[in-house]
Amino acid sequence: MFRAFDWQDLIPLAKGAWLTIQLCAMSGILGIIFGLILGIARTSPSRIARWISTIYISCVRGIPILVIIFFIFFGIPLLFPGLELDKFASAVIALTCFAAAYVAEIVRGSIEAVPRGQSEAADALGLNYWAKLRYVVMPQARKIMVPPGVGFIIGLVKDSSLVTVTGLVELTHAGNIVTNLTGDPIMTFLTVAAMYFVICYSISLLGRLYEKRTGIQVDPLKLPEPASV
Amino acid sequence: MALYFGDLLPFSSLLLEGLWTALYITLVAMVAGSALGVFLYLGKVGPGKAVSIFCSCYIEAIRNTPLLVQLYLIYFALPALGINLEPIWAAVIGLTLNNAAYTAEIYRAGFESVPHGLREAGKALGMKNAQIVRYIVLLPATRNVFPALTNQLILLFLASSIGSIISLPELTNAIMSVSNTTYRTIEVLAVGGLLYLGVSALLSLASKRAETTLFRWAVGARV
Repeated sequence: MFRAFDWQDLIPLAKGAWLTIQLCAMSGILGIIFGLILGIARTSPSRIARWISTIYISCVRGIPILVIIFFIFFGIPLLFPGLELDKFASAVIALTCFAAAYVAEIVRGSIEAVPRGQSEAADALGLNYWAKLRYVVMPQARKIMVPPGVGFIIGLVKDSSLVTVTGLVELTHAGNIVTNLTGDPIMTFLTVAAMYFVICYSISLLGRLYEKRTGIQVDPLKLPEPASV
Repeated sequence: MALYFGDLLPFSSLLLEGLWTALYITLVAMVAGSALGVFLYLGKVGPGKAVSIFCSCYIEAIRNTPLLVQLYLIYFALPALGINLEPIWAAVIGLTLNNAAYTAEIYRAGFESVPHGLREAGKALGMKNAQIVRYIVLLPATRNVFPALTNQLILLFLASSIGSIISLPELTNAIMSVSNTTYRTIEVLAVGGLLYLGVSALLSLASKRAETTLFRWAVGARV
């Protein structure tokens, strides 16, 4: 009935791993862009911008990513009946929504970690808000963001395994398919776990390399603070 | 399309039971996992070289692989070895083993962030290692560890939703089954999302309150 797990089964798993990497790269980049906007809004002088971003960040961080994935995958076709999204697109949207909130918290934390005197000095020089952000605060905040950012990307790779519920054949789903073919869940999922390990561990090694070259302390284990409401 | 929440009313007890299951496995996994984490941390920093390498490998392996794959290994791979687990036990064991690795790292970070000068001062006073840990390092380390542990509790509660994929009838599973019965997908996802949000907000508020009460002595003097 079943055949043994052999090297041929590595091919669908490797394809799944490649899809996982593409998924994380796209949602990671989009998440960083939206997260930067949200994080800056979260610390901006405009009260409305602060409120909107605070509500968004708190909501997303208080709901499991699995529920967000279900909401995007099943909810968007119901809310916008004309809109047709393929599985990959809805997975990217779900992971981006999720990533943006967590990146925004990292950005907020880093902006607040820049000593207040820096921003006061910029005020004293007569710089306006955007110039202050562009030339004084962000260059310093950028360095503080890197270590938790590395930890966040590793978290994104791990959380991307949950889009398996939409039927998108990423690494975990490929593992399911290979298990059904071979009837050998032990070897299959140990291989899947090893592939995730290689992806995540390479990211944390890259983070450490960056630390060595720039002198920034990178602790990829650091997680963002909990949702505060 | 019009939203209508009335169809969900007959299923409110199903949703609440799901929430209860989610809370239950979260609490069990938090207590068991943070206890196991103590041993992992002690094993990692302890004198035994083999034990230390084993604990480090365990921590790295857990922290660099998805919880879902760990649950699959427990729920689908263990039966191949002759060990059959109910979904709830698979979820509890999976979350506990996962949580242990994260809490071990929290303890490590908490103890490492206590300034080295405190230990040296203890040594200069002629204290033994055990005395230094008990009377000098333990209290500030606890203060450092506490917020990270409550953060971990909230993350664990949200992670318990992954149990639905191995057909554990917790909140996310209840949400999806109500959605399949009533076709009120958006409504039930909104209600379920609000339940998750409410509980994690409560947990967050409670832990802030506990932190200020427990560590009033350390206000403004973070060590």
